Amino acid sequence: MRLINANTRSRVRKIVVYAVYIILVSSIQVSFPDAFSFKGQTADLMFVFVVLSGYFNGFWDGAVVGFICGLVRDVFSPPAVVGLDGDVRVTAFMGAFTLFAVGIIGASFFTKRMHRNIPFSFVAVIFATVCYKTAGYLLIYGWSNLAGAESSLYMPLTFLVHSFLPQLLLNAIAAVPLMLLLRFLGPVSFKGNSKNDEILKKQGEGTWLGI
Amino acid sequence: MKKLLKSKWFIALIVLLVLAAFSVLSLLPGSPVKKLLKPVQLVSSPAQSVVKRAGDTLSDFWSAITDGIAIREENEALKAQIADLRYQLTQNEEAALRYEELKDALHIKDMFSNYDIYGASILSRESDEWFSTIRLNAGSTDGIVLEEGNSFPVLDVEMNLVGRVIETSDTESRVLPLLHEGFAVAGKVNVVNGATFMVIGDAELKRYGLCLVKDIDPDVHLEPGMEIVTSGDGGLFPEGIPIGVIQSVDYSNALEVTATLKPYSQIGRLEDVFIMIPYVEAEPAESTVAQGT
Repeated sequence: MRLINANTRSRVRKIVVYAVYIILVSSIQVSFPDAFSFKGQTADLMFVFVVLSGYFNGFWDGAVVGFICGLVRDVFSPPAVVGLDGDVRVTAFMGAFTLFAVGIIGASFFTKRMHRNIPFSFVAVIFATVCYKTAGYLLIYGWSNLAGAESSLYMPLTFLVHSFLPQLLLNAIAAVPLMLLLRFLGPVSFKGNSKNDEILKKQGEGTWLGI
Repeated sequence: MKKLLKSKWFIALIVLLVLAAFSVLSLLPGSPVKKLLKPVQLVSSPAQSVVKRAGDTLSDFWSAITDGIAIREENEALKAQIADLRYQLTQNEEAALRYEELKDALHIKDMFSNYDIYGASILSRESDEWFSTIRLNAGSTDGIVLEEGNSFPVLDVEMNLVGRVIETSDTESRVLPLLHEGFAVAGKVNVVNGATFMVIGDAELKRYGLCLVKDIDPDVHLEPGMEIVTSGDGGLFPEGIPIGVIQSVDYSNALEVTATLKPYSQIGRLEDVFIMIPYVEAEPAESTVAQGT
């Protein structure tokens, strides 16, 4: 007689594998950022991991992994913002907000139609990076104008050449090892089944609600 | 209604709204919202330390293999340098005695004599260009107690400016680095009565590892290579902390001369830093006061 059934086993696997990967990915990113830097930008391993979790493993995986990764990011390197009074303050939950949204974006595009295939995972990462960088730039531009923090502003062309494009490149490169990890040593087993969405129905989507 | 409450999009929207509200609330002075992150910190910090230590060990091991010959040559050069410095030290001992005598006579204050210096190690660095504060392993339990609106200078091992502490918890501190666009410090040319101006972080220059120098008096002539130190204006940073050197000066607008500054401290390479905390002298005892009067 088996002590735990297949469903419980897949849940345990999911929790353990995600926990290990979240700790590893976030720790590596904030401990050795220079190892993944190019033109002043750093490959955002946490961001890419969250997008791919959503893309391969579904909405709830993207949302939950994004939320947890975001909380860890808020602890390790929260953003400091110039307030309306001119004082610089450390924020909280900005990372959780960002990565939660990113996890949902990763899970919601190029999924059913593409059957979560590997080549389109790069498109998902690039698409999510475009959304993140554009929204971030507009938010900072608006807030800096409001707070009168001129030093935070930079021109759209500078942003495009020195921030947007290097980040796209770095995130696309970082997607390769993370995609392999999630796909072949990941929290959900895709072994022996070509219809990935069916596996997700059984193992992925909704599993978190049952925990 | 029941269907709406069970909808994943509805749940996601509510979570996003709550997180956005928490983010805004966290900007309020003394906000308790940040305490909600404490359990995450308790779990993630030790795990990150383990990963960092493992990475450092691997890196050291690799360096030991690849840099072996270079280290041996450097060792020889350093031995020669030590012998030279020992000789200089004996020469300087007499000068130091003379200095002490003159210092007492002229009431010269040591530059940092009113500060306690605490050592700390860097735990984590920036995640990306926006999530860019640095975390240190010293907090209020180590004596780094920060009051609202206050801040402490952070220096590297060569006493160059690295940034300032803007938040502390029980065991950790957060540092706003010199290159961050929210950073500002009053600086001056490192000469007697040097002209003062502002050194600030700038989003565009950050990617080149540079700061912006502004509010320069049009009559002041800055040149590349000039050393800039803190001026002591504003009271947050003591006078004389080395910041960096002027890299270029823009005189194109005579009314608004600006310059770029290359900081001495290379944050990416730092492992240990020092936090300067103003030394508060104890109030004189009543008996002493009474005796005096």
